Amino acid sequence: MKRLVAYLTSGYPSIEFTVDAALALKEAGVDTLELGIPFSDPVADGPVIEAANLKALQNGFKIVQLFELSSQIAPHIDTLWMGYFNPFYHKGIDLFIDEAKEVGVKGFIIPDLPFEEAAPYKPQIEQASLHLIDFIAPTDPKERIEKIAPQTKGFIYLVAYAGITGAQKSEDLSQTVAQIKACSDTPCYVGFGVNEKTAKEKAKGVDGVIVGSAFVNVLLDDTLTQTQKITEMTRIARTIKEAINS
Amino acid sequence: MTNMHEKNAIYIPEPSPFDPDENGHFGKFGGRFVPETLMPVLEQLRNDYEAVRYDPEFWKEVHYYYTHYVGRPSPLYHAKNLSDEIGATVYLKREDLNHTGAHKINHCVAQAVLAKRLGKKKIIAETGAGQHGVATATVAALFDLECEIFMGAKDVARQELNVFRMKLLGAKVHAVESGSKTLKDAMNDAIRHWVTHARDTYYLIGTVAGPHPYPMMVRDIQSIIGWEAKAQYLEAEGRLPDKVVACIGGGSNAMGIFNHFLREPSVECIGIEAGGLGLDSKHGASLAKGSPGVLHGQLSYLLQDDDGQILEAHSVSAGLDYPGIGPEHAFLKEEGIVTYDAITDAEALDAFVWLSQKEGIIPAFESSHAVAYLKKLSPEALKGAHILINLSGRGDKDMIQAKEILAEKFL
Repeated sequence: MKRLVAYLTSGYPSIEFTVDAALALKEAGVDTLELGIPFSDPVADGPVIEAANLKALQNGFKIVQLFELSSQIAPHIDTLWMGYFNPFYHKGIDLFIDEAKEVGVKGFIIPDLPFEEAAPYKPQIEQASLHLIDFIAPTDPKERIEKIAPQTKGFIYLVAYAGITGAQKSEDLSQTVAQIKACSDTPCYVGFGVNEKTAKEKAKGVDGVIVGSAFVNVLLDDTLTQTQKITEMTRIARTIKEAINS
Repeated sequence: MTNMHEKNAIYIPEPSPFDPDENGHFGKFGGRFVPETLMPVLEQLRNDYEAVRYDPEFWKEVHYYYTHYVGRPSPLYHAKNLSDEIGATVYLKREDLNHTGAHKINHCVAQAVLAKRLGKKKIIAETGAGQHGVATATVAALFDLECEIFMGAKDVARQELNVFRMKLLGAKVHAVESGSKTLKDAMNDAIRHWVTHARDTYYLIGTVAGPHPYPMMVRDIQSIIGWEAKAQYLEAEGRLPDKVVACIGGGSNAMGIFNHFLREPSVECIGIEAGGLGLDSKHGASLAKGSPGVLHGQLSYLLQDDDGQILEAHSVSAGLDYPGIGPEHAFLKEEGIVTYDAITDAEALDAFVWLSQKEGIIPAFESSHAVAYLKKLSPEALKGAHILINLSGRGDKDMIQAKEILAEKFL
């Protein structure tokens, strides 16, 4: 069975909503949840996730609320924190490790902390039995994949195209996937631009997909009530889960 | 070391005792904190730059444009009226006389020559006040490169003349509507565009910031300022200055003039940050009031809140209106090698008028911060001192803003 990872921006439109949506997504077949930590300058993200980040911050989101809401979510679904490095660095990676252990979060995804810069932090994260998810991009040459892939844990986040999240782009990843598979048994999930229409195609040859902007689009849709948002998000999750496994 | 007064001498960078490690770390600062998609691109750029870093042929080509297009070497001017008033010997390094009006053209020419060598057809850049955008659009026209400039919507509105200049030069200008709509957000969008077009686009970063190799490469290129100034000062005075002063936004003109003086124990280098409305109010002084953090691909000092969210900076000068600073400056501060201080908007505006009326030189608001430092020094510190100031740019671009702010003063 191919896996579905869902990304949600924490705290938008509210803390309660994030918890309700997370639990509903679990019921709809989502295997792993990426709880996004809102950041003022999300450079790897497209306009949709950026808008959700900035709105959450405008609403007064604080990191301490991430820890609170995670304690209501992580016992029920495999949960990772996804966020830019500065809040981790500024508040201290130790704090995030301790809090993750406390609430049952399984690890971190930090898109602006590539392999080399992650090296000083990875040992202490892994010693705490947490994962630091590595990225591989279609721009990576074989030598770089051979350096990164064998050391990965949890899953490999394969970036679907050179670009930012939520774009209408696609690239032929078959060679990249083959190079990963040749040197690593870690499951490989593809993310960026995965939605109902693209999921089946993007899931080819990999072990799962990561869906962000498609869910966050619903979060941002002010014409929907909170109940309608959750209904729509669970519908998208079911459709994608089915598509990637059909 | 080559000297600019040697016959046919051309500027070629030299290894610095403060060069970063192979991953771009100046001590704990610097590095490459970027999405994975950009890592191979940066690795390639590092190799490409290493290949030309000491290559005389490359620098000969750059030198040609410096001499015939930019107008280098820029003069070293003895500001006698200023000197007499304050009782010190003050020299100005006249980067304001460069083509396009500031030091930015230096790294634009050299990076454009590099981009051309790498076969890139497109260049992008971020800009705050528009000086780097104009300089980038200029070299794009010169070298027939497609050019897109990212500029915060707020800056587009307050720097409309520079926006027009960029368009006139053939560049496309994107008004960035996200976040604080200033330089920080322009850089976010430039990075997003670059991630998307990394394979055929050269990102011409406008300062000694960003991921490795940019901070080192831009510092190497801009160090022609100090290389020239050192020889010119020796020629004029038969000695080195006691103090070298430069303003700092990202820090390119300061690294450029400091680099060749950092190894001289008798010379104190002083970097001036934007004190804005005061260090207890809104400002752009990341070293004075910020803390280490990661933004735009580098670890350096940042203005940030207790959650690590980036704060907005403030300065009357759009070129200093940035919440970060180049990583080498962060390193030089922590090591105590360079002195850093801040000058407020009001002090800078006073110096803007002072230099205009004393010497007939209208400085850029940015450079006015460095000039203002002369008035902050005590009479004892000034007495008999030799002071070299990097006059990084001219004030033409600031005329509309200056006219508004200073209207009452010049009715």
